This record gives sequence, C-alpha cells and structure tokens, in this order.
Amino acid sequence: MSNTHAPPLSRGPIRRLIDGLFDLSAGLAAACLVAMLCVIVAQMAARWMSFSFPGSTEYAGYLMASASFLAFAKALNTGAHIRVGLALTALGRHRFWGELWCLLVASAASCYLAWYAVRLVYWSRKLGDISQGQDATPLWIVQIPMACGAIFLALAFLDNLVSLIRTGRDNIVEDTSTHTRTE
Amino acid sequence: MAPELWPLAIFLFTLFLLLGSGVWIGLALLGVAFVGMEIFTTRPAGDAMMTTIWRASSSWSLTALPLFIWMGEILYRTRLSEDMFRGLSPWMARLPGGLLHTNVVGCTVFAAVSGSSAATLTTVGKMSIPELMRRNYPEHMVIGTLAGAATLGLMIPPSLTLIVYGVTINESISKLFMAGIFPGLVLAAMFMGYIAIWSRLSKSFNPTPEPTTTLMEKLANSRFLIPVMLLITLVIGSMYLGFATATEAATFGVLGSMALAAAQGSLTLTSLKESLMGATRTSAMIALILAGASFLSLSMGFTGLPRALAEWIGGMGLTKFELLMALLVFYIILGCFLDGISSVVLTMAVVEPMIRQAGIDIIWFGIFIVVVVEMAQITPPIGFNLFVLQGMTGHEMNFIARAAIPMFLIMVVMVFVLIAFPELATWLPENIRQRPVS
Repeated sequence: MSNTHAPPLSRGPIRRLIDGLFDLSAGLAAACLVAMLCVIVAQMAARWMSFSFPGSTEYAGYLMASASFLAFAKALNTGAHIRVGLALTALGRHRFWGELWCLLVASAASCYLAWYAVRLVYWSRKLGDISQGQDATPLWIVQIPMACGAIFLALAFLDNLVSLIRTGRDNIVEDTSTHTRTE
Repeated sequence: MAPELWPLAIFLFTLFLLLGSGVWIGLALLGVAFVGMEIFTTRPAGDAMMTTIWRASSSWSLTALPLFIWMGEILYRTRLSEDMFRGLSPWMARLPGGLLHTNVVGCTVFAAVSGSSAATLTTVGKMSIPELMRRNYPEHMVIGTLAGAATLGLMIPPSLTLIVYGVTINESISKLFMAGIFPGLVLAAMFMGYIAIWSRLSKSFNPTPEPTTTLMEKLANSRFLIPVMLLITLVIGSMYLGFATATEAATFGVLGSMALAAAQGSLTLTSLKESLMGATRTSAMIALILAGASFLSLSMGFTGLPRALAEWIGGMGLTKFELLMALLVFYIILGCFLDGISSVVLTMAVVEPMIRQAGIDIIWFGIFIVVVVEMAQITPPIGFNLFVLQGMTGHEMNFIARAAIPMFLIMVVMVFVLIAFPELATWLPENIRQRPVS
C-alpha cells in the first residue's frame, strides 16, 4: 500500500504521455477480457450446436495472458498490486528509504521480466514455434501483448522510481473503490 | 551451520527480505526465484522463467478468474444487497438472535455468486450494518458476525482462492468448488447457532422487535430473492450437472448478472465500464502474483527444498492429524503477514508433495487451506476483512478484531469438524456428473 496523496495538479507532457500509454494499455486489456468472454460463449454455442471451434481454449488462454500483462502498469499506478506494508509503516518518517528500496528491487525485477519477455517473442519468431494445441497459432504473435505489457510494467516502475527520487513521492494513487474487493 | 545449508539459508533469507520489506508480492516472488535459480542450477534462469510464466499466464483454467471477478463487480453495482435484506429479514425476524442472522444468511447467499470475502463483506454490510444499528442490535455482534460470515465468500463457490489453488496444483476447479459447498453451509450453520445461543444468554440483547408479518407477506417479500437464486442455480447448477466447466459457469455468471442488473435498471454504460476496468485491474493483480509464483515453484524444484521437507516430515512419522495441526499453526502465522492467495501460491510448491506423501486428499486439503487462510482475514495485524470493516464503520481495529474473536474460534472448530468428517468436502466432488465434452 502506498502513501495516499493527491495527484500533482499540473501534469507535464511526458507525464500525460506515460499515463495515456498506461490507460490505453489497460483499455486494450479490458478489450481482451471481453474478447475472452466472447470466445468462451462461442465455444459453448459451438458445442451445443455440435460443430467444432478448434483451439478455443488456447485462444481464451492467449487473451487471458494479454489481459493480465497489458493491465499490469495501470494496476500498479492505481495501487491494485498488493504488498506487505507492515515494515514500511513501521519506518514512519524514514519511509522514503523503504519505498526507494522496494522500487529499486521492483524496477530491476520488472526490467528483467521485460527483457526476457521480448527475448521469448524473438526466439518464438526465429524458431517458428507454433502452439501445441489445435489452433496451431504462431506463438510469437500472441506473445507480443505479453511483451508489451511487461515493458509497460518496467516503464511504470522506472517512472515511479524517478518520481520518488526527484519529488520524494511516487505516482501511485490508491483507488479505494477497487481495493476493497480484491481478497 | 553446515556448509551445504548455506545456499538454502540465502534463498530463504531473500524470500523473507523481499516479501517483508514491502516489495510488490509478484515481483518479490520473481526476485526470490531468480536468486534460487542462480544459486542452485546452471540453467539459464531468464529463458526458463519466461517459458514458465507464459505457460502459467495463458492457461485455460485461469480464465475463470477474471470472469468471476467481473461478475462480482457487476453485482456490487446493483441493488442486490437491498433486495437480499428485504427478502431475508422477514424470515429471520422470529429466530432467536433475530436479524443478526441476515448477516450470516446474506453472506452465504452472496458467497454463492461472489468469489471473494471482501466483496461479500462490502455488499452485505453496506445494507445490514445501518439497518441493524437502527434496530439497536449490539454493535460488536453486528460487526463480529459480519466479519466471520463474510469469509464464507471464499469457501462457497465460486471462490478466487480455490481457483488459484486449483491452478497451482493442477486439479479440477469444478471439483474444488463442489467440495466447498457443504463445509460452507456447515460453517454458516455454526455461526447461526452461535448467534442463537448468544442472544438467549446475553442480557444486553434487546433489539427493537420487528413488526409481525404473515406467511403471505413473507412469501411476497421473498420475490426479491428470486434473481439472486436464479443466478446461483445457473452458476453452481451448471457446474454440478456437468453442463459447464468453471470458466463456462463464470461466463454464465457474467451474462446472468448483466441481465439481473439490466432488469433492475442499474445497468448503465458507465457502471459496465467501471466493473470491467475493476475486474481487469484485480485480475491483473492476481495474475502478477501467479506469474511470480509459477517461476518460484520452478526454482523451488531446483532447491530440493520441497522434497527434503516432505522426506523430513515423512521421517518424523507424524500422523495425518499431527501434520495437519502443524500446518494449521503454520498457515495462521503466515496469514498474519500475507493475504490468502499469496499464502497459497507461496507455499503449495513445498506443501503439495508433503500432503500427497502423507496420503491426504488434495481436494479436501483445498477446503482445509481455505478455512485456515480465511481465519487470517479476521485476525490482526493485516486481516483484510478487518480493514474493510474499519473503513465501513469507523471503529478502532481493536474493537473490530475483538468482536471477531468468537467467529475465529468457530472457524477453528470448523477445522476439526472438517478433519473428523472429511466426507463433508469429498462426497459431493466424487458424485459430480462428468461433463460431456472435454
């Protein structure tokens, strides 16, 4: 859980660009979720009318992965990602150093994730990996949203890290309306 | 310390350091797993990580998760809680303990359409807290029973924790859901029994009596319960009859709750968009934890920790009961620091071989673990339901935690009931109809 504070009043162009990017990405994630719903409905319809929809479970899976990864960044900045807050609270006015440590670790971990996510797409493409399921989709195509989402998450952490160092606080604004329903 | 234990010590130290210092849980797990891979194997960590995470994130069984979350988000934005209170209260008014029972029954009913205990708590509480306070019900009972009964949200299907458990250990989610039904109902009955006994014994229990209603009026008011009952039948029934997998039942649930919202006139474009974005964020949150956890369990395999622990426990010659008691204490302590889902994914790589070796039914254990991690939701310091109640009532954490103690004890009793009568959890899943097509 992060500090609760109002967002900065004036937002520079870079800030707007980054936030816009994360919003767009989250919007795409939501679209993936709706598409997933449609795939499952189509799968059931196909089963009842006894014709086949090969690879439907795979498609739903790809959409699931895309929806998750594309929403990571936005979820971070709305405070949805959970963490153990006891130590940070205990730090009191030295909380800054705790937050700095967390953001450093998280930035490193998310950059690592992003790097290898891109590499996975690269190698899937290079080796011509196709899905084991009935859909036989080239995997690199469906892995692209995951790679993008991982890059955005890394970007979000780096952005928060820079903000914390420059202004003493991050950009995470907890959206309490969503927070109550995660458990 | 023996030199061969050093790598393990470093691994565990990293785990506690990263989780404890407040690094976001998914990334903390990722970091620990990375350290484990670097210490215990020469295999290139990054590529192995990505293949594992891709497989885990794009798994079919996971797709039930965002859909059930979405369903809860839609229902939260309807007038369902008012309707349930109106429909249930005439029936509860004459029971010893009166409308306190609406908390328990309301939570039980809502739990059957919601996968989360906090969602159950907020939805039921936003109506029952003000109504019961207005009728002079003792506040600590109102809050306590609500905190306890809301944990049914994770026991009675659908349940996010059970989905995560099923995905982690690769077991059928439908079976796990079926396993939760009877234990959930028994727990609800125990809560109600406690309310009835307490209200008879207590001298301070003196609520404003309800106006008497005739049977016809009661039945007439029950019409408010019809939509939610239909939804429950649709979701649980379709799974039980083998019509639908968990994911497909979730799809029914989403479409059904949209229809319910539309029938009430509370389905607007804004509310639909809000519910979708809320679901997207929440499921992303869980997906990040699951991604980290999948890499961690790969890495755990290389550390040899799960096998060593399983053998060590096996060598101690513990009975099943002793092992379960040890796990009970372990999870209660863990639950003081971690939420339920994180506790499950963090420990299953180690605990699964242990219980399989001990010959404990894995489906049954899912229900056991849900009861146990749910107790943690109503114990300080980070009991999540306590935070939610604090936000809803403005009371001190201490007051709320103390009000919830009897419920915590009832849940401990429930664990023993579950151990004494394992059939409660295992009978229904064994008798579930097989679905026609895979």
